Amino acid sequence: MTMALSGLTGLFRSLTLCSQTAAPSKLGSLVPCAVGQCRGFLTTTSLEQNRTLWKQIDKYTVRPIGMKKTGGRDHTGRVRTHGIGGGHKQRYRMIDFQRLHYEDGKGSKPFEEKVVEVRYDPCRSADIALVAGGNRKRWIIATENMQAGDVIKTSGVIGRMAVSANEGDAYPLGALPVGTLVNNLELLPGKGSEYIRAAGTSGVLLRKVNGTAIVQLPSKRQVQVLETCIVTVGRVSNIDHNKRIIGKAGRNRWLGIRPSSGLWQRKGGWAGRKIKPLPPMKSFVNLPSVTAK
Amino acid sequence: MLSETASCLKAVSPLWPHWLSGETLRRLSAHGAVSRRQQPQRHFGVSLRHTAKIPPPRKPREKVDIPGLELITYGERMHYVPGLAKPVNPDWEKDFKDPRFYKSPTLHDMPLYKEKPCYIFNHRTNALEGVRQALWLTKTKLIPNLPPQLLSLAEKPANQIQDQDERVQNAIKHARFWDTTVERPDKLKYSNTLLHNLLHLCATLQSSHPAFGRRLTAEKYSLAATWTRGEDVLQIRGQNGFLLSCMDPLAQVSGKQEVMETAEHTLETFYPVSPTIDLQKVHVYKENLNCTGFIGDYPYPHAHTLYFQEADAGHKLQPEQFRAKMLMFTFGNALARAHKLYGTQPQSILDRPVTVQAVGTNGRIFQFMVFQLNTTDLRGDDGIKNQVWLEDDVELYDFAKVRPLIKKKQVKVPAGLSGYKPEAFSKFLALYLHGAV
Repeated sequence: MTMALSGLTGLFRSLTLCSQTAAPSKLGSLVPCAVGQCRGFLTTTSLEQNRTLWKQIDKYTVRPIGMKKTGGRDHTGRVRTHGIGGGHKQRYRMIDFQRLHYEDGKGSKPFEEKVVEVRYDPCRSADIALVAGGNRKRWIIATENMQAGDVIKTSGVIGRMAVSANEGDAYPLGALPVGTLVNNLELLPGKGSEYIRAAGTSGVLLRKVNGTAIVQLPSKRQVQVLETCIVTVGRVSNIDHNKRIIGKAGRNRWLGIRPSSGLWQRKGGWAGRKIKPLPPMKSFVNLPSVTAK
Repeated sequence: MLSETASCLKAVSPLWPHWLSGETLRRLSAHGAVSRRQQPQRHFGVSLRHTAKIPPPRKPREKVDIPGLELITYGERMHYVPGLAKPVNPDWEKDFKDPRFYKSPTLHDMPLYKEKPCYIFNHRTNALEGVRQALWLTKTKLIPNLPPQLLSLAEKPANQIQDQDERVQNAIKHARFWDTTVERPDKLKYSNTLLHNLLHLCATLQSSHPAFGRRLTAEKYSLAATWTRGEDVLQIRGQNGFLLSCMDPLAQVSGKQEVMETAEHTLETFYPVSPTIDLQKVHVYKENLNCTGFIGDYPYPHAHTLYFQEADAGHKLQPEQFRAKMLMFTFGNALARAHKLYGTQPQSILDRPVTVQAVGTNGRIFQFMVFQLNTTDLRGDDGIKNQVWLEDDVELYDFAKVRPLIKKKQVKVPAGLSGYKPEAFSKFLALYLHGAV
């Protein structure tokens, strides 16, 4: 450290003598003192770039947040993913994927919420619904026939009898009858849903095996999760999303998709139809469960 | 770093020794303390190699704090000695007050902090359920139209202004077309001008109605009123529209019989939404805060009419939420007055109910409201309720277009003022005349 200091002081002396460099008087820095604590450069501007600061809001809000587009570039500035850029400006609405999210001070009882509005979300293919219950409002992924004014129920209780669930309600897998269409699947109880969230998708509850449940995902892969994981009943909204016709190149550009490279490239082993057996069932049962705070 | 510093340093980078890289510079932070937020690695490299991904910073060695163990530090020796602990200096609190470096106390240390939260309705609150929510919060019964005795006031020819229709149309034209240097004035401006013009027109009747001289308008006064509803403490605070206040109180609109009949009415609930949704929840508040906005010996203490504008400086409200805001602030004014007259103890029935009126507009559509506070006992859901007569969405005119609307070469809506409706102004005048005739 002392070597660094002496080096620095020497440098600054050389800077003042050197006439080629820009005037050192412009430097708004303190000369580091030789003894005691090292005092570095006095910086007054923020060093961070604002690139990802918009994502780091920790308090949940219903209001949409302005997003910064990356254009497929990563933190070094180079293109990491091709074909992304431009497109209409979008605002991010914070979605609460943890459906069984109790309100502060309200206890752990099953609760109901009222759907205030179902609207288009530019950030995903599914529609989102603003639900209000108690003293708070939050955004969730809307299911197929959700309309403003509906009342949806969320429960974490697994009874002995299976519940006849209405569409849009959320229950643990252990409480639902086998064969129900489900969406917004959690793999670990309390983590929040990560699977089956796209428009029109739904999984099927295949069977329940002592404390765990097996769900078939939309890709026909089967997954074994604990029966306390919460799922929503029904299909995700906007079911005709896969039937839409883009129609013109411009519409793709509005969606932020840039044209692919026109260079002809020999297709390798990745191309062509593959007929493979289903991968084995993935089990998330023996991992420790995560409770989101 | 200052941009000049960065550019200077970039210029002199070949002069620097090789070990003086961004790593060392990173550790030389200005105040010597660990910055709370981890600062990104600074790169002064100009070659491409330096823009590759840098290894993540090493986490500093975890310092274990063993209580009772005396650390041997190099503080006394006045220079760094490898192996000895870094001296920890005690936090120095200034013993004098310096307003430039004031640190506010944490939430729990604030003197007015209370465990029980208070829900505040302020001027920007956007109530989810609108008027239903406001009715529940103020324990009020809604009656759809204005009371008939008020409407008959404006019918009398003695109470009408000379050339009333023409003068009102001129007032609208002034607000919408003439009071600007650009092509058309924006909504905030024209609704304000229109309200002031209409008020001025009503006040021209002062020669025949001397009681108008006992009134005064006031703007930007801060209202505060507190009440309990069930388990929750509610407050209404803020600057609402402008207030027309009077030396004499308004007479009650509905008779004793009607007031007693409100006890049978049940308030509308909206499960699963709680009635305190969208209200600002605070833990730091003054209990029993009641303030009409004026000091004790103000000569015009009784609130007569409140005038609200929908497009209020940045936060616009939907019509339903706007009516809810009108209702809440009218109630707030009435409650503050009642608390002043009868004390803060809840009274199940007031001998002289407090009446306050309200007019809200967005420049074209008017909402009229007459509120009568019958009770200050708002804790339970039963008993005598307050009453509100609400007439919503009364249009003053249909269109006031600067350029005509032409579809397929035919004029659909001509330029200028079209579709003037005189009923809206007669209701406005009736509310103004109430109490003075």
